[in-house]
Amino acid sequence: MGTLDTYFVPALDGVAWGLLLFVAAAGLTLLFGIGGVLNIAHGTLFALGGYLAATVSDGSWSTAILGMVVATVGGTLGGAVLAAGTLPLAERGHLPQALLTFGLALVGGDILSTIYGGDPHPVVIPSSVSGTMHIFGHVYPTYRLMFIVVASVLALAGTYVLGRTRAGALLRAAADDRDMVGAMGYAPWRVHAALCGAAGALAGLAGGLGAPIIGPAPDAADKVLMLSMVVIVLGRPGSVAGAFFAAIAVGEIETVGVTISSNWAPYLLFGLMALALVGRTFRGSADSAGAAGVAGAHA
Amino acid sequence: MFSSRVPARLRAVLAVGAVTALAAAGCSSSTSSKSAAKGDSPITIGLITALTGSNKALGPDHLNGFQLYLDTHGDKLGGHTVKLDVGDEANGGAAAVPVAKKMIEQDHVLAIAGIVATPTIQAVVPIATAAGVPVVNTGGRPTVKDVSHLWTMSFMSTDPGGAMGPYLAQNVQGSVYAFGPDYQGGYDQLRGFTDSYTKAGGKLANDGGKPTFTPFPTTDDFTPYLAKVKASGAKAIYCFYTGTNAIAFVKAWAQSDAKDIPLYAAGFITEGATLKAEGPAANGITTSMNYSPDISSAANRAFVSAWGQKYNGEAPPATAMYSWDAASVLDQAIAKAGSNLTPETINAAIKAMGQIDSPRGTWQLSADTHVPVQKWYLRKVEMDGTALANVKIGDLATIGS
Repeated sequence: MGTLDTYFVPALDGVAWGLLLFVAAAGLTLLFGIGGVLNIAHGTLFALGGYLAATVSDGSWSTAILGMVVATVGGTLGGAVLAAGTLPLAERGHLPQALLTFGLALVGGDILSTIYGGDPHPVVIPSSVSGTMHIFGHVYPTYRLMFIVVASVLALAGTYVLGRTRAGALLRAAADDRDMVGAMGYAPWRVHAALCGAAGALAGLAGGLGAPIIGPAPDAADKVLMLSMVVIVLGRPGSVAGAFFAAIAVGEIETVGVTISSNWAPYLLFGLMALALVGRTFRGSADSAGAAGVAGAHA
Repeated sequence: MFSSRVPARLRAVLAVGAVTALAAAGCSSSTSSKSAAKGDSPITIGLITALTGSNKALGPDHLNGFQLYLDTHGDKLGGHTVKLDVGDEANGGAAAVPVAKKMIEQDHVLAIAGIVATPTIQAVVPIATAAGVPVVNTGGRPTVKDVSHLWTMSFMSTDPGGAMGPYLAQNVQGSVYAFGPDYQGGYDQLRGFTDSYTKAGGKLANDGGKPTFTPFPTTDDFTPYLAKVKASGAKAIYCFYTGTNAIAFVKAWAQSDAKDIPLYAAGFITEGATLKAEGPAANGITTSMNYSPDISSAANRAFVSAWGQKYNGEAPPATAMYSWDAASVLDQAIAKAGSNLTPETINAAIKAMGQIDSPRGTWQLSADTHVPVQKWYLRKVEMDGTALANVKIGDLATIGS
């Protein structure tokens, strides 16, 4: 068929890849944009989830689901460590937090490579989703199609919880005015702990879901941290919808963009990111009210 | 504000690596004899490998192959009891310099074996050469000006592709799409393939007739590249990938439109833990390598069974075999150097060595480059009993210069 046909698989794959980035970045954007905590250990929590899910899952559906649960619980516990560590630093800005979470990332990474070794870890998924399907005459992995569905559900659920529930409203309120939330009778440390736990759970779950695509390996943590940063910077920190569209855009750039011009593959993503940031700076200075304050912007 | 964090992180990791290397150098004991050993007095041999850092996954095989040779030869090389002085090159390059200096100046090693990363070779070989200490290298081999004291047990980066090129030109009816990672090792590997393939009359299916280089190490999704392969009408794929890149590439290939296009590659794509992580996706991949665990020779059977006994019945990776050969070469050189045992006499003995009987078959060191002149094998990933294995299906050319 025509040229368009060549781009069908990359375009579809861009959606799957973008959603993977969205799911991976969700925990980071929540914690950074709303909680104001710059979590350098985010990728390590993702890797932890991946290793846990891969260890538990043996190819049956029950262990695969148990694997997701274990990954989420593991991520939540990691988030709890993070909460305990960052709470005393809450009023001291991002640098001390970055330093602390960087330390946690190094320690966590070393623990993971001590337990699981330096080799990439094999990931076994149920045979009914480990194969391929035919769509419009093309072969595509079943797991990635399923991932598109699961990640879309996650995105909708996240938007709903943050935008339409009391708990979500409380989190957004805590970001805007911590003292007022305290005066309403909610201890700030509880809100902080809940955020860290939720962000950890998201990172762990993302690691579990993403393991068949970005396999658990010593370099997975850095890779995920880097891509998550790109997504939240492009999508504006704390904005779920922004992160969603940024992730899909990055996904398409890395798939369709690469198909159009593989010579430009190394520069496409960061080149376009630079352009987007420059463009935003000019627009931002034009309307002075649009202060993209890190803690202030949200969905 | 974000981009500035990444280099900071990298710097910190490098700093941690350097400190670890220093600590490791400081901790290893140095109760050893002087270099001029007599009779069967004990001797010290240095072994530098990656025990921490980015090559941590590769490091143990370099140590284990050497150690297995010692285990099966009464801990002796050339009749002398060996004290193995193990050092950590961490992330490679400058981090290995204090390790090598300590081995040479304080521990008075007779030779240095191992070395995983090519930057480590470039950092260590000049120091060893100045001190007259031979380096018997088991990892990658970069371009080095003075090879007088460098002896490589593995291969030249262009060799795996050089062995496969003529074979594909003869056996594939149509063009081949070539891939590699975008760094020096990738360029060398692919140059070896494209030069020999086009010389033998083959034609690349890539845009512009040049191999495609994917961003390294940041390419995680190869699906779009494989869509281009399908569209190009290529009849086969040739690639060089290792580690997580290899796993991502193989998994994407097995689940893409290109899965009916046969995949040929340099052998590293299906070695050891990489093959395990790829699983059934790797079935049917054909590779070129200078070793296959199922080579039928007495030397290979002894090596494979000793390795299997020690490591849960697993098949030895090629790297462990290079390291086994490093011990074997030193064994013969030390025996030949006789009573006047110094680093220089050992270096001269290695230089004078003829055919070497090895698990990979007999080979010899090139007088010019000090890299093996050896036979390359065609291997296919197949079920061997209960596990996937690289099974030898034929011989390729003998190369080396």
